[in-house]
Amino acid sequence: MKAVDLLKKAIGIRKDVDSFSKRVPENVSIWYYVIHDPQALIGLIIIALFIVWSIVEGSLQIIGGYLKDPALGWILLPHNPLAPPNAALSLKPPSLSYLFGTNLEGEDILSRILYAAPKDATAAFLVVGLAILFGGLLGTVAGYFGGWLDEALMRITDAFLAIPGLILAIALSILIGPGYYSVLIALTIVWWPIYARLFRGQTLTIKYRGYVEVSRLFGESSLKIIFKHVFPNAIDPVVAYAALDFGTVILTYSTLAFLGIGVQPPYPEWGAMASNGLSFFPGVWWYTLFPSLTILLVVISFILLGDRLQDIISGRLTY
Amino acid sequence: MVNAVITLIMLVFIVFLLVHIILPTPQAMAKVYIGGTHFTQAEINAIIEQYGLNKPLYVQFLNYLINVFHGNFGIDTLYKVPVMYLLGKFIPITLEFVIIAIILQVLLGIFTGSVAGMWRNRVPDWVIKALYLITWAMPVFLLATLLQFAFAYYAKVLPPFNIANPLMIPPKTITGFPLIDAAIEGDWPYFDSLLQHMVLPVLAIAFAGFGITTRIMRASTIDVLDKDYVKLSYMKGLSSWQVFRKTVLRNSLIPIITLTALTFGFAIAGAVVIEEIFIYKGMGFYLYQSTVSLDYVAILSTTLIVGISVIIANFIADILYAVVDPRVRLE
Repeated sequence: MKAVDLLKKAIGIRKDVDSFSKRVPENVSIWYYVIHDPQALIGLIIIALFIVWSIVEGSLQIIGGYLKDPALGWILLPHNPLAPPNAALSLKPPSLSYLFGTNLEGEDILSRILYAAPKDATAAFLVVGLAILFGGLLGTVAGYFGGWLDEALMRITDAFLAIPGLILAIALSILIGPGYYSVLIALTIVWWPIYARLFRGQTLTIKYRGYVEVSRLFGESSLKIIFKHVFPNAIDPVVAYAALDFGTVILTYSTLAFLGIGVQPPYPEWGAMASNGLSFFPGVWWYTLFPSLTILLVVISFILLGDRLQDIISGRLTY
Repeated sequence: MVNAVITLIMLVFIVFLLVHIILPTPQAMAKVYIGGTHFTQAEINAIIEQYGLNKPLYVQFLNYLINVFHGNFGIDTLYKVPVMYLLGKFIPITLEFVIIAIILQVLLGIFTGSVAGMWRNRVPDWVIKALYLITWAMPVFLLATLLQFAFAYYAKVLPPFNIANPLMIPPKTITGFPLIDAAIEGDWPYFDSLLQHMVLPVLAIAFAGFGITTRIMRASTIDVLDKDYVKLSYMKGLSSWQVFRKTVLRNSLIPIITLTALTFGFAIAGAVVIEEIFIYKGMGFYLYQSTVSLDYVAILSTTLIVGISVIIANFIADILYAVVDPRVRLE
C-alpha cells in the first residue's frame, strides 16, 4: 500500500470509507440491516434452520416419550439413531444411504447429529435466557441503587469471572452430578456474572436520563422504575451480545461433552460423538469430523449474526 | 490492590460455599480429606478433630482461607499425595507452554489486526476475518486434532503426543519448568525434544485465541488512524512504516495489554482439552483425570488456583498498563 493511499484513508472521514453505511436509509428497523447484509443473512438463515429443526425434532421426541413410543423421535430421520449395535454396519464410510457414514456401533452419524440438535438448542437458549434474567435483575438493581450493594456485587462477579468459564463449568457439573440438567445449571452459574456486568453498565447510563428523573419526581417506586424504565431500555445492547453468546454456550456445552461431562451415553451429543471418533482418526475420518463440523457451522452462524448485530446496534458499522 | 485482595477472598469464599453445599456434613467432608475408600469411624473422627470440621462455618472459613494461603488443599484420591504437591509439579508445565502460546498469539494478533485495520474493507481484511471467525467458532478439539493429523501423522515432522521423548531421562527438577531445567542442566537433546513436543499444543492455543486479539487490534488501529497526530506525522514526511511504528503500534498496544491478561484465562481453559488430546501431562491433563476419577478436592483446588492466577495476571496487567501509557504514568 502506497503512503498516498494511507494518507487519503487517514484524512478521510471514517463514515465515507464504508460503502454499506452509505447504502442504507436512516431510521429503519434492525431487520433491514440484517437482511441486506450478506454476513448477517447467512448466519440468520442457518440459525433459523437450526431452531426450526430443533423445535420439530424436540417436540417429536417429547411426544414420543409421552406416548411411550420412542420411534416417533426418529420418524423424520433416515435411520434409527439409537439402533442396537450392529457389527455388519460398523464404521461404514459415507455413502448414499449413510450420508455421513456410520460409527463403531453401526449407527447412522447424520441421524445422530440431527437427533442431538434439540438438546444443544435448549442449552444455548435456556442458559443465555436464565443468565439474562438473573444477571439482568442483579445488575440492574445494583447499578440503580449503587453503594455497598453495587460494590459487593462487583466483587462477586469479579471472583466468578476470574475462573475461566470452561473450568468452572467442569467443576460445578462434576459437583452437582452427571447428566444434562447439571450441565445446564453449571453453565447458568458460569454465565450470569457477565450479564450482571453488562446490565449494571447500561443502568448507570440510564438512571440519570430525563424519563427516569421524571418518574422519580412523580413519586414512582424504585421497583416500578426499574421494571418499567431501566430494564427494558438496558436490554438492546445486551441482545447483540447474547446473539454472539449462544454460539459460545454451544461451544462450551460440546467441549464439556467432549470431556465426558453432560448427556449420558446412549443419547447422542455432538462433542461426545467427536470424542468417541477421535481414536479412529484419521482412518475413519467421518466419525469425528462430521459432528465437529456441525458444531463449527452452528457456532459460526451465531457469531456471524451476533458480530453484525453488535456493529449495527452500537453504531460501529464502519468497523 | 485492595480490589484484587477482596476479589481473591471472595473467590475463596465462593469455592468454600460450593464445597459446603455439596458436602454438607462433617463426615462427608472428612472422607474427602482422607481421600480413600477404606477408613474407620475413628479415622473420620480424628480428621474431623484435626481439621476442625465440626466448628461453626465462619471459623471453618477462616481456617480454609489460612489453609489456602498456606497451599494446603487436601489429599489427591488417585495418587495419594497432597494435591498441592501434584499441582506444584503440573502447573509449571502448563504455564510454560501457555505463556509461550500467549506471546505467539498476541504477536500474531497484532500483525493480523493491524494488517486488517490498515487495509480495512479490502481483500486482506476479509481473508483475515474469515480465518479468525473459523478458528473462533471451531471447537478446540477439532483444531487440535487437525493440527495433530497434519503435522504428526501426515507430514510426520512433529511428535503427536507427550511432553518429551519418553525414552530420554529428564534432567533434575530445579525450577519445575521443563525447558528452564533442561537449559540449566545443559541437557540440550532433551531441551530440543521438549521444544518439538511443545509446538503443536502451542499452535493450537495460539490459533484458537488469536481472533480476539485481532479484533481489538483492528479496531484500535482504525481508531488511531483517524487521529490528528497520525495526519501530522504524514505531513512531517514520515513513511507509512514509520507512522505505523511510532503512532499506531504504540497506541494500539494499550488495549492489547488488558486483553492479554484476559486471554490468559481462555488459554488455561483451552489447555484442558489440548493437553488431553496431545497427552501433554500438565495441569489441564490432571484436571481432566480428576473429572474422570471424580476427585472433588483436586478439581476444586485446580479451579481455585486457576482463579487466583487469573486475578494475579489481571493485577500485573494493571501495572503494565501504567508503564506503557504515559497518561497513566503522569498521574
